[in-house]
Amino acid sequence: MNIKWFVFGTAFVLCCFAAPVAYCGDGAAPSGAASAAGMVSERKLAQVMPGKSTKSQVQSLLGTPWRIVQFNDCGKAMPGQEDETWDYRGKDSHGTYRVHIEFDDAGVAHLVAKIPDNVRGGKGTTAKMAPLESMKSMQM
Amino acid sequence: MFSLHLPPFTQGVGLSVVLALGLVAQSSAQVYPPYGPDIPVITNTEPQSGALNQDREKEPAPNPWNEESIWNMRVEGYNDNQARPIYQPLIVNQNGREILYAGNLAGTALNPLTGVQESNGTSIIDVTDVKKPKFLYHIPGPAPIAGSYAAAGAQMARVCGGNTLPNAAANGTAGHWYLLRAFGNAGPDESHQIWDVTDPAAPKFVVTVISGLSNTHKSWWECDTGIAYLVAGSKSDHWQQSGSTQHLYIYDLSNPAKPVYIRQFGLVGQQPSAPVATAQPCATAPSDTCYEGTTNPPGGVHGPISMGTTVNRVYLPYGVSSEGVIQTVNRANLIYGCLRSGPAGANPNASKDCAGNPTQADLLWPQVSWITMNPENGGHSSMPIFNVPIPEEQTNYLNGAPQSKSLLFVSSEATANNCYGQAPHEAWILDITSETTPWPIATLNVPQFPGDFCGKGARFGAHAVTEAIYPPYYGKIISVSWFNAGVRIWDIRDPKNPKPIAYYIQAPTANTESSCSTINGVTNCFNATMNDYVEYDDRGYIYAADRAGTGVTILSLTREALNAILPPSE
Repeated sequence: MNIKWFVFGTAFVLCCFAAPVAYCGDGAAPSGAASAAGMVSERKLAQVMPGKSTKSQVQSLLGTPWRIVQFNDCGKAMPGQEDETWDYRGKDSHGTYRVHIEFDDAGVAHLVAKIPDNVRGGKGTTAKMAPLESMKSMQM
Repeated sequence: MFSLHLPPFTQGVGLSVVLALGLVAQSSAQVYPPYGPDIPVITNTEPQSGALNQDREKEPAPNPWNEESIWNMRVEGYNDNQARPIYQPLIVNQNGREILYAGNLAGTALNPLTGVQESNGTSIIDVTDVKKPKFLYHIPGPAPIAGSYAAAGAQMARVCGGNTLPNAAANGTAGHWYLLRAFGNAGPDESHQIWDVTDPAAPKFVVTVISGLSNTHKSWWECDTGIAYLVAGSKSDHWQQSGSTQHLYIYDLSNPAKPVYIRQFGLVGQQPSAPVATAQPCATAPSDTCYEGTTNPPGGVHGPISMGTTVNRVYLPYGVSSEGVIQTVNRANLIYGCLRSGPAGANPNASKDCAGNPTQADLLWPQVSWITMNPENGGHSSMPIFNVPIPEEQTNYLNGAPQSKSLLFVSSEATANNCYGQAPHEAWILDITSETTPWPIATLNVPQFPGDFCGKGARFGAHAVTEAIYPPYYGKIISVSWFNAGVRIWDIRDPKNPKPIAYYIQAPTANTESSCSTINGVTNCFNATMNDYVEYDDRGYIYAADRAGTGVTILSLTREALNAILPPSE
C-alpha cells in the first residue's frame, strides 16, 4: 500500500472515531458540530416531552447542548421565531441528524425535532409540539 | 452641491487588477462615510438606450435546497465563525490588515481558542488572506439572565481609527483602533460599549457609553467627526414607539474613553410628551400633537446612515418590517439643534428640554422630509447613492445636459419563516433628487420561483442593503441580503431598470440552525441558510454573513457582474 494512502486512511479512521457525529467525510468539519458536547442518546431524547420538559430537565437528560441560539432581533419577529433553541447532534442507522429543541419564555420545551442532515427534497421534518401549540399556528 | 473627490477606481481597471492594488484602495476607501466626508463620482457606462432590451444572460435557477447556488460570483474564502449566528459583518482596513468584525445574535457556542462555551458576542477574524481567514478573538456577549439568552447577543459593530477621530493627539487616540458595539439586545440592562482593538487579537475594554437600556440596535459612527448615532431605548427615557422600542441617542465619541451625550431623537409622535391616546396622523390631520406614519406611536428606528459633513444628511428607516417611514434629516440641525446659538444647525427656538424631552418643533427642526411606506412593509435600511447618471437622459431632456439622480435604496425586513403570515418584503429605489419629495422609481425583487424559496424553510425576503462604500461598485451595483435566497446583486447603472446580475446561496452545513414553522397545525423544521448581511471590504471582496450559524463566505464578482463595474472599453 502506498504510504500516503496508509497515512490518509489512518487519519480518516481516527477522525471518525474521535468525533462520531461530526462530518468526517465532508472536508472541513464545522467547529461547533465537531465538539463532543451535545451528542444525544436516542433513549434519553425520547424522554424530552414538549410542553413539560424544562431546561434543567433537558440538560439533565441530554447534557450540555453544543450550541444555543436565540434569534432575538428588535422584538418584531413572528411568534415563536425568537424562542431559545438548544442544538444537539446524533447518529442513527439513517445517518447523522440534529436535535432542535425550542423553549418558550417560561423555559419549557415546546418544540422538539430530530432533523436528518440530508432531508430528501428539502420539504422539512415534522416536529413534536406541545399539545396546545398547534392552536397558535397560522392557518392557511 | 457636494465637494467630490474623484476616486482612482473610476479610471477603471479589471477587478483582478483592483484586487492587486489593494494598498491603493486602502487609502481611498477611508475617505468615504462613515470614515470621511467624501462621495465617489459616478460615470455613466451604459448606452443611451439603458438596460432595457440588452442582450443579457438569463438568471439561472438555483440548485436544489441542499446545494450551493452561485451566479456571476466566485467563492474566495470562508470561516465558520465558531458556528455563531451573525447579524452584522464589518470589514476594516487596520493599517493594512483586513479585519472582519462580526456582530453575533444571542446564544452560546464553544470558542476553540479558549476551550470555553462563550456567550455570543463579537467575532474578530483576520481576512487579509481571504483564502485563509484566521479567527483571532471572540469578545463574549452578555451572560444569560436566569438561564435565558433572550436579552443577550452583540449584534452590531462599528470601528474607527484613532488617527481619523478628531483631536487625536490631545485625546490620546492616535495609533489606536476602537470598536463600538451593542452589548445585549432587548432586556433589562443593555448597553453600548467601546473596546480598544488596536491589537485585534487582544481587545481591551474601554468604556460603557450608555447602559440601562431595554433595546439596542444598529448604530452609525462617523470616524472623522466622532459623532455616533446609537440606536437604543429604555423604559425610563419615556420615548414611545410601536414594535421595536428604540430611537436615537446621539453622542460625541471623538474621545472614545469620554463619551459626550448630545441628544435623543426620533420621529414626530415618538417624543415622551406626545399624546399617544389622542394623536392623529400628521398626513391627514397635521397639528402640534400629530404622529408621522401609519401607526401610533411610530415604529422604532432600525439603523441610521449619515453621509457626513459634506452631504449633511442622515437617513433614518423606521418600522423595520411594517408600518414604515423613511426620514431624511439635516445632519447639522440634528446634532446642534438643541443649542440655541453657536454652530450652524443651532435652533434659536430650541426648547429647554430639547435634548431628552423634545417638543414636536424640536424634532421638526432637522427634518427635511419623510415618506410613509405601505403598512405591510417597514424601513430596515435606507442607503443613499448620489448623482447616478441616468443613461436614457444623457441628452435631449431639460437643458440637454446629461442628467443624474440621487437615489435611496430602502429595504423592508422579512420576518416570517416559509413566507406564511406576511406579504412579500422587498427593496426599492427611491429618487431623492428632490429630497423633500422622495419617490419610488423601481423595485428590487426576488421571486419565490424558481427556487421554491417559500418552501425551502427559514425566512425568504429582503433584509439589508449593503452600507459600505467601495468606489468601483458605487452607483454600478447594489447588494441586498435576501435570507434563504442568499446574496442578491443588481446592476443599477440604469436605475429605472435594475437588472439582477449575481447571486450566491450558501449550502446548509452541520452548523446551520434549523428553522421551524407551524402551518395548519403541523410544525416542520428545515435546514436552510439565511444571508443576514452582505458587505464589502476596501479591496472589493464581498462578505456574506449567515444568520443561521453557517459562518461567513468571502466572494468576488465574475463575468457579467464584473463587467458591470468596468468602463465600456473593458
